[in-house]
Amino acid sequence: MKVKKGFRLRDVCGEKIIVADGIANIDFSRIISMNESAAYLWKHIEDGSDFTAETLTKLLLDEYEIDEATAKADSETLMAMWKEAGIVED
Amino acid sequence: MNYETRKMANEVFLPQVVQLLNEGHTVTLPLRGRSMRPFLEDGRDKALLEAIKEPPQVGDAVLAEISKGHFVLHRIVKIDGEAVTLRGDGNLGTENCRLEDIRARATAFYRKGREKADSTKGLKWRIYSWWWTRLLPVRRYLLFVLHPHIPQRFLLNKK
Repeated sequence: MKVKKGFRLRDVCGEKIIVADGIANIDFSRIISMNESAAYLWKHIEDGSDFTAETLTKLLLDEYEIDEATAKADSETLMAMWKEAGIVED
Repeated sequence: MNYETRKMANEVFLPQVVQLLNEGHTVTLPLRGRSMRPFLEDGRDKALLEAIKEPPQVGDAVLAEISKGHFVLHRIVKIDGEAVTLRGDGNLGTENCRLEDIRARATAFYRKGREKADSTKGLKWRIYSWWWTRLLPVRRYLLFVLHPHIPQRFLLNKK
């Protein structure tokens, strides 16, 4: 899986939001924002490199003191949410 | 997916919106405040904004920074050289700014939760605008009829 081309994380007033360069209109009534840990993961895959749930799990384990099962579950949930939001693709 | 509403302070949020506009994006912005009644309602409607390309004209609804960090989305009622007078449709008073303080133009409005926007070039907005601006002498009464509000001090059975 990888990040769709042009989707970038931007900081607007302390909110980490996803803005697509290629998309003309930015709709602030339905914006995708990320919390700190999601933003951390996004930063590592934003360049468009291929990633899996294992990639994210490893990144989480590197940065946060959590057990592997939690990290894996969170990674899978997050990937599903990103996919539903249409910001990543196979 | 989790949805939640975040409110941000205008003076920090809107400059960033202006930056996105200047980068060539258009921006859909949920509206706050009652100053563009009766067409636009607080918390219900959204405006589609774009950066200024052609010179603003009387009648345009624009986003203007009327003083440092203080933005309004109001209608231009007069342009005299560089001096611009604005008045919200739901207001009686005016604001003044310079042409250079106008940051964006509203090109359409999403109203009442509809997916389709009413363009400011469309017939509905133009007819509404024609009537509403000409009814200014009686606006005070129209606003009262449309949005009755009786100040507490005039109510008799106060608790």
